[in-house]
Amino acid sequence: MTDDTKTQNWSEEFWYRGKLTRRRLIGYGTAAGALGASMLVPAPWQAAFGQATKPYKIGTLQPLSGAAAAGGKTALVGTQMAVDRINKSGGINGRPIELIVADYESKPDVGRRKAEKLLVEDNIDVHEGGFLSNVCLACEPLFGEYKVVNMIGVCLDTTLTTTKCSRYTFRPFDYAPAQAVAFAPYLVNKLGKTWHIAYADYAWGQSTRDAYVQQIKKAGGDVVGTTGIPLGTADMTPFLSKISGNFDGLFGIFFGKDGVTVGNQAYDLGMTKKYKWAGDGAIAESTNLPALGNKIEGFVGINRYVPVLEGVLNTPYHKKFMDDAVVRLKQIDPSGPLPDRYVQSNYEAMNALKIGMEKSGFRGREDTMKLIEALEGLEMKEGDDFPQGDKVLRKEDHQAFIREFLFDIKDGKFRILEVVPKEKTMFPPDCKFAAT
Amino acid sequence: MSTMLGLLQAIPYEALLIQTLNGIVTGMILALIASGLTLIFGIMDVVNFAHGELFMFGAYMGVVVISATGSFWLALVLATLIVALIGAALQITTLRPLLGRDPLTTILATFGISLVMQNYALWQFGPVARKIPEPFSGQFTLFYLEYPWYRVLIAVLSAAIIGGFYLFLKYGTYGIWIRATTQDRVMAEAMGIPVSWVHTAVFGIGAGMAAASGVLFGPLVGVNHAMGLDWVLKAFIVVVVGGMGNLGGSIVASIFISLLEAYASIWVSPAQAVIVSFVVLILTLLFRPTGLFATPK
Repeated sequence: MTDDTKTQNWSEEFWYRGKLTRRRLIGYGTAAGALGASMLVPAPWQAAFGQATKPYKIGTLQPLSGAAAAGGKTALVGTQMAVDRINKSGGINGRPIELIVADYESKPDVGRRKAEKLLVEDNIDVHEGGFLSNVCLACEPLFGEYKVVNMIGVCLDTTLTTTKCSRYTFRPFDYAPAQAVAFAPYLVNKLGKTWHIAYADYAWGQSTRDAYVQQIKKAGGDVVGTTGIPLGTADMTPFLSKISGNFDGLFGIFFGKDGVTVGNQAYDLGMTKKYKWAGDGAIAESTNLPALGNKIEGFVGINRYVPVLEGVLNTPYHKKFMDDAVVRLKQIDPSGPLPDRYVQSNYEAMNALKIGMEKSGFRGREDTMKLIEALEGLEMKEGDDFPQGDKVLRKEDHQAFIREFLFDIKDGKFRILEVVPKEKTMFPPDCKFAAT
Repeated sequence: MSTMLGLLQAIPYEALLIQTLNGIVTGMILALIASGLTLIFGIMDVVNFAHGELFMFGAYMGVVVISATGSFWLALVLATLIVALIGAALQITTLRPLLGRDPLTTILATFGISLVMQNYALWQFGPVARKIPEPFSGQFTLFYLEYPWYRVLIAVLSAAIIGGFYLFLKYGTYGIWIRATTQDRVMAEAMGIPVSWVHTAVFGIGAGMAAASGVLFGPLVGVNHAMGLDWVLKAFIVVVVGGMGNLGGSIVASIFISLLEAYASIWVSPAQAVIVSFVVLILTLLFRPTGLFATPK
């Protein structure tokens, strides 16, 4: 009763005792309007300073389960290493990175679905990652559709930066034609003239086979036969036992567990003694060596990265990279493997994005074109960001050119035979971007 | 006559012999995997989607035992026993409560188990593939190839394990319990056979056989979390072709399909030769859905 009386008294006092003048009413109204407007309409200072702490959303598609999970796990280590380092040093343009990881279960259909989720629901600003070439190929058009930069972390299929190139996609590491240009003269002049190629029968394996056929012939050698083996074949003996005839060398194009299988079974069938045994460095990746044991002894390969601290790789940047990577890899694998090229290329891909975002003053998707322009022709200098060495992202096809390492396996360890400078790996561009 | 002679001359005998050997070796590994799968289905009506992961677990157990003892043979025995026990525990905790329910529930349960086991292996052992060293190395010359003795040993050991299991089923008391339960579950229970424990034992034996094949096959490929995926589809095909639950049928179907694929790969790529097994599967389902080697009841 008392409360009601008080309320009534107060309202009467407010409305009827002459204290609410017209002027005061206009004053109240203006104040309320200004308050409402400030809540509804973001002020310029809010856009400028509010975003300073808003993290960049960077998506990363990786195969963390299924057949390619082993490689996906190490690839993610590289991405996370770079993100942690960037965040510790103050982020990009003063903003931290929020990494959104999507596991595509080693399946292209899941990859496409997860890419769409990253782009539509998570609303990522940029993407870094991708591992299996068929998944990269399936997802590449989506990044163009949503106008988001896609910095590839691992996929090596040639067509990603040639016939199927996209203005939105960049590959900051090598590809098969460049590797073939770098390796073919060594194969033909030092190992043998005639070759048989055994390859993983899917996008990457096929495009790499084509590149080597072309370059071996160009170097004066010949490819007398090719054998495609489907991805994930457990018993390759039926395929390998069909390979016969007179040729000098067997060239393998496999990765992951297929690399282990071909290494073991080619040795078991006496093929690595009968022929020179060479191939893509992914067969003898550091993470494959324990399962290959002495059967990979003498293998000659090419790789963009080998985990050794010798020659041109004996630098403080590389040592720092290796030390950090070894600690992190130990956390996901008790055997404590050395970093492989998947760790290296994801690490450097994220750093390439960072440099592009800083150079372009990238704020979000609205600045995608500025970011693309900043990345086109980007020169990356050897250092903490790029411990593998200098590289340049070619404007015409968004393909990087980097130095290559020719190595063999001796006493279970990598031995660098030759370092091919990036200038000697050049291959003409074959890309026509669609109009954006 | 001359056409016949021409045809005979056109047969690549070298390739024929090499592919026969390949077919038998692959067939015996497949038979060892499939026999556990068909046994589990025959007695419990459970389609075990986790069978490939039991194969993979066996290989990992082999790695663990070898690194501790250095003995391949001890690894083969211990990995088989450990995974058999794991299999029995899985049956008791996960499948026993589901018996008698819609078969879809057991399919989903075993599929779930397979995902858990795969990811557990990845978490526990990491992404780096491991090695099981062969108990001995060495090759013999087979035309233009050096053929590894170890592959021949795999076939012989697989045959020995399957043979031993056959004798156990035929003459052992517990083997007779298993056969009785397979034939008529209700009558077996009425006769005093502890059917639920027979189910557990059979699941354990099936898991153990998968583990043994994992250890035997490990040296050829390197041990990784996904190695079971490569075999399980083929194992399902031979189980269907051989007759679901028909142990002898599955073994014959394993060798039959592997040989067919091996011979086909003389003329076409082995990748295309795989189609043969699917053709046999479709024909079996169309014309003899109980299995090519099933005995009519």
